[in-house]
Amino acid sequence: MSNSPKTNPNDDPSTYPLLGRMMLWTDKKKNVDWIVRGLYAICTALFLADFVYYKKVYLGMEKIPGFYAMYGFFMCAALVICARGMRVFLKRDEEFYAPHDVESEEFPDDQLEKVDYNA
Amino acid sequence: MPDVFPISLIFFFGAALLLLLPKGHLRAALLLIVPILAGTMLWNLPAGNLWTATIMGFDLEFMRVDKLSRLFGLIFCVAAFLGNLYAWHVRDTIQQVAALLYAGSAIGAVFAGDLISLFFYWEGTAIASVFLIWARRTEGAYHTGMRYLIVQIASGVILLAGAAVFYGETGSITFEKMTLGSLGTWLIFIAFGIKCAFPLMHNWLQDSYPAATVTGTVVLSAFTTKLAVYALARGFPGTEILIYIGAIMTLFPIFYAVIENDLRRVLAYSLNNQLGFMVVGVGIGTELALNGTAAHAFAHILYKALLFMSVGAVLFRTGTAKGSELGGLYKTMPLTMIFCVIGAASISAFPLFSGFISKSLILSAASHDGYYVVWAILLFASAGVFHHSGIKIPYFAFFAHDSGLRPKEAPTHMLLAMGLTAFLCIAVGVYPIPLYEMLPFEIDYVPYTTTHVITQLQLLFFSALAFAVLMRTGIYPPELKSVNLDSDVVYRWFLPRLIAKIATGVARVWNAKTSFWITRYNNVVRGLYHTHGPEGRMARAWPTGSMVIWLAVLLGISLLINFVS
Amino acid sequence: MASETTHDVAHTAMTLIDQLPVLQILIPLVAAPLLVLLGTKRLSWAITFIASVLAFAVSIALLWLVKDGGFISYELGGWAPPLGIEYRVDAANAFVLLLISGISTVILPFAYTSVRAEIAERHHTLFYSCYLLCLTGLLGVVITGDAFNVFVFLEISSLSTYALIATGAGKNKRALTAAYDYLVMGTIGATFFVIGLGFLYMATGTLNMADIAERIADQGANRTIQAAFAFIIVGMGLKAAIYPLHLWLPNAYTYAPSAVTVFLAATATKAAIYVILRFSFSVFQPEFMFETLTFEYLVLPLALLAMFAASFIAIFQTDLKRLLAYSSLAQIGYMLLGIALMNETGITAAIVHLFNHGITKAVLFMGVGAIVLRTGSSFLYRIQGMGRVMPVTAAAMVVGGLSLIGVPGTAGFISKWVLVQGALEKGWWPIAVLIVLSSLLAVIYVWRMVEILYLSSPVVGADKREAPLTMTIPMVIMAGACVYFGFATDITIGASTTAAQGLLGGTTGMIEVIETATQAGH
Repeated sequence: MSNSPKTNPNDDPSTYPLLGRMMLWTDKKKNVDWIVRGLYAICTALFLADFVYYKKVYLGMEKIPGFYAMYGFFMCAALVICARGMRVFLKRDEEFYAPHDVESEEFPDDQLEKVDYNA
Repeated sequence: MPDVFPISLIFFFGAALLLLLPKGHLRAALLLIVPILAGTMLWNLPAGNLWTATIMGFDLEFMRVDKLSRLFGLIFCVAAFLGNLYAWHVRDTIQQVAALLYAGSAIGAVFAGDLISLFFYWEGTAIASVFLIWARRTEGAYHTGMRYLIVQIASGVILLAGAAVFYGETGSITFEKMTLGSLGTWLIFIAFGIKCAFPLMHNWLQDSYPAATVTGTVVLSAFTTKLAVYALARGFPGTEILIYIGAIMTLFPIFYAVIENDLRRVLAYSLNNQLGFMVVGVGIGTELALNGTAAHAFAHILYKALLFMSVGAVLFRTGTAKGSELGGLYKTMPLTMIFCVIGAASISAFPLFSGFISKSLILSAASHDGYYVVWAILLFASAGVFHHSGIKIPYFAFFAHDSGLRPKEAPTHMLLAMGLTAFLCIAVGVYPIPLYEMLPFEIDYVPYTTTHVITQLQLLFFSALAFAVLMRTGIYPPELKSVNLDSDVVYRWFLPRLIAKIATGVARVWNAKTSFWITRYNNVVRGLYHTHGPEGRMARAWPTGSMVIWLAVLLGISLLINFVS
Repeated sequence: MASETTHDVAHTAMTLIDQLPVLQILIPLVAAPLLVLLGTKRLSWAITFIASVLAFAVSIALLWLVKDGGFISYELGGWAPPLGIEYRVDAANAFVLLLISGISTVILPFAYTSVRAEIAERHHTLFYSCYLLCLTGLLGVVITGDAFNVFVFLEISSLSTYALIATGAGKNKRALTAAYDYLVMGTIGATFFVIGLGFLYMATGTLNMADIAERIADQGANRTIQAAFAFIIVGMGLKAAIYPLHLWLPNAYTYAPSAVTVFLAATATKAAIYVILRFSFSVFQPEFMFETLTFEYLVLPLALLAMFAASFIAIFQTDLKRLLAYSSLAQIGYMLLGIALMNETGITAAIVHLFNHGITKAVLFMGVGAIVLRTGSSFLYRIQGMGRVMPVTAAAMVVGGLSLIGVPGTAGFISKWVLVQGALEKGWWPIAVLIVLSSLLAVIYVWRMVEILYLSSPVVGADKREAPLTMTIPMVIMAGACVYFGFATDITIGASTTAAQGLLGGTTGMIEVIETATQAGH
């Protein structure tokens, strides 16, 4: 992009809205690691939770401990890998349908109100 | 009787009144008042066929009010209100009028008790809505709108043909539960199917919604497809084929959504996926399933609008909705980000959000009735929708790598619209009883059980885990500027080229004969011009004499005929 | 005549409702000389307008009274028919009365501006006086139940029409020739008609339509009656501009002042069509072989010819007014076709189309009039791109154009739909196909109009403003009516069906009238 953070001298994080400033810590690699670790912990806890309550379900396979967890994880992994594979066949250049498609066009500026926060 | 009239008229009169008002806040306010007025009136209407018009011997029911139509009518009014609030800044008369006519037609169609008035409103939604696409005013939008219009009009024409055949078969034009089997019912079914974006008829949706204006897409997302769901629920409940159609609908769009770059198109794919859930519900056709469909349509209109609003706000401030161009926007658009996350949580059916209390009705109905494979597909689709709508949209727009874009927060009216929608999403999720009470059938369903909450959280968090793992291992496909081929490649790329090829071939053969025919054609036109043109024999001026001759000739013939008889 | 009617009102004044039939004629008839007597240019329009509004109100009341199939018989001067003149109102003519007086009322505001722009001010009083006489004549032709009285009113309307057309001379001298031509031809037509009436009188000894019908029913057909029918059909055919007898119409419509064109196009030929209907079905017996054959072998081919030939001519025209005039000829073809089908649906179609085409053409000719006001010409190359600067006018014209084609949702669709049904009922499906095909020709010339209006830039020198409100409001009302009657068919189809049933009822209905009249009269 033309106005990347490096080239924009006006970019000053201390002027961001309060909510935005409060979340700036998510930019740091170290903190993201902590988020992911938190996710691991929640997942473990949810998996173990299956053993401590009476699971009232209809289907046999639902009774398997952690069925939903496994199903969610592996199906999503499969989904992403399949989709990635599909790209090999389906991906085309952005100009593929041009000029009969909006994909290759800029959105008309007069219908927008682009305001740079730092300006 | 006189105090009841078709609710769509409020919208149509609103549109007419709008033209008389000066551009500005007055118009924007009118756009808000109209849906409120319609909604209030709707709320207070008794059930029954309230307004009948007889046209050319047919009794047309314009106001069939029952629990199903009232629920859809109400949520359409809510959607129109929220969409118009979001579009407060728009000063484009065409978009404003189109939004009103579109909402009015959709609501009119919901209350249509016969196939003919349904057809009129059906085409009304098609014609009014295309202007929301054309209002973008680019060449691409023009072509996209044209494709959209052709598909939508085709759906209407098929509906009309179906209605005519159906009338021939049964002698009735009442729009009631039908059984698939005859030609008429199949035609009607296909007409509904096109508008509902059945697999292989779905491309108009993904093609057109990202092409509309910022605000247009929000409005578009609410009506057309949900109208089709309503029509299916009204006309074909319990039609088994719908279960499988619906299951496929939930399945294939999620793959596309993962690799799609334009976030509004991602949402269009996920819209298609959510429609699948509703179609499955209609197909199962039990009271629980139909309740699920109605509830899900209600919840879906809200959170889908919210998601389109938040991505629209990003587009409004940055000029793009492409994942590859965005990222890091949370810094300066934190409120929009929060609303987007609420929408994402709702569509993903997190407990305490609206999707949770509606989608589970359909899943329960599937498992209760023994459709285990379908149930498994729906479960997969639920996880998948979390993946692309729940995580991908907020992540790539607001987090991911810093794009360096520092847009200002969305304007106040947009925040207000998003806030209101987000509030409704949470309210419905936290306290679903009022929604359940509006459903077409009595319902005895408790969404918040320990099992349900924990299994749902397991499904979602492990899906998130898969996302995190794939992201960190670099397997997750990056957002790339690209177009992905879908079935529309057949009519957008393959057929035109095939026809061009054939045309060149034929042209060669043709050319030999052409000169002959062109001469012929020219001669005919010249002949017509010679006799019918301004100087021609047939059109000659100042013809007193010739007319007297004609008069004599005609009198002669007339007398001859009379006397000979 | 006038004295007779006034006299009547004076001494047998019952309730106002009983006097409605005569008031229908009396109001414009009295207003016309009043204008000249007062001689004030300022009031002339206002008086005309008030007279027209009152006439419109009367016709609404009349239609209301007879819409369910009743009859009203009014004896002029207290002389009972068949000796005295009788005004007889049933659904068929009440509907036409409504059309004529309604159109007149709606277009008068339009005429106000248009006439001021196109006609010299010193002629205004006489113009409106002629206009009122023309209105009186047309209403009278429709309302009267006396055959000779039809001729009298026909002449009143014709003579005033010639004068009205001639007032276009201020702009284009050719209006004089057009008026003169129409005068010659119209007089021949009227003569044929009166010869036909003479034969009828010879054969039956009466001039009251109901009476004639009864006698014909009693004695059956003979040569005299057959000759009478031929003369009446051809004579009225000229007034209605049946295809080869149309030659007066394009010039008259093109060179007449815009307001006159609107009025004539929407009403004059319609009144003639009504007379054909009335004579064919109420006076003569549709069961008679000669009548059936005349319709099948003469009127039907001519109607089809009109639908195609006139449409082709319209396509090639370079003047919008003339284009629309030829399109009118084609549309008259549809009405004649409906009559020629000789079944209830066909006649319903003819009457509905008579009404729907009236309002459709009113919009279109008003649109042209508004454009002429701004550009000074109706030649296509002069009015290019005016749709962009006159959005309301052009939009109304597009609605009218769609109705002319017969697009669903417009009035034109309804009448063509009924017409196709009528043809199919008769088993004449090739005719149904031809109706659809000829509509495609209408698509072409309407598209030409739209193309000219929108798809090019306005020529230099045109006054690039929207027409004044006095013009746009009548246009919008009429365009709204085109759409309204495309959906609300209760009034149009309902009244037309009743009318068609009444007409096909033939003599029985007429005899009934006489009886009711005798009872109700005194």
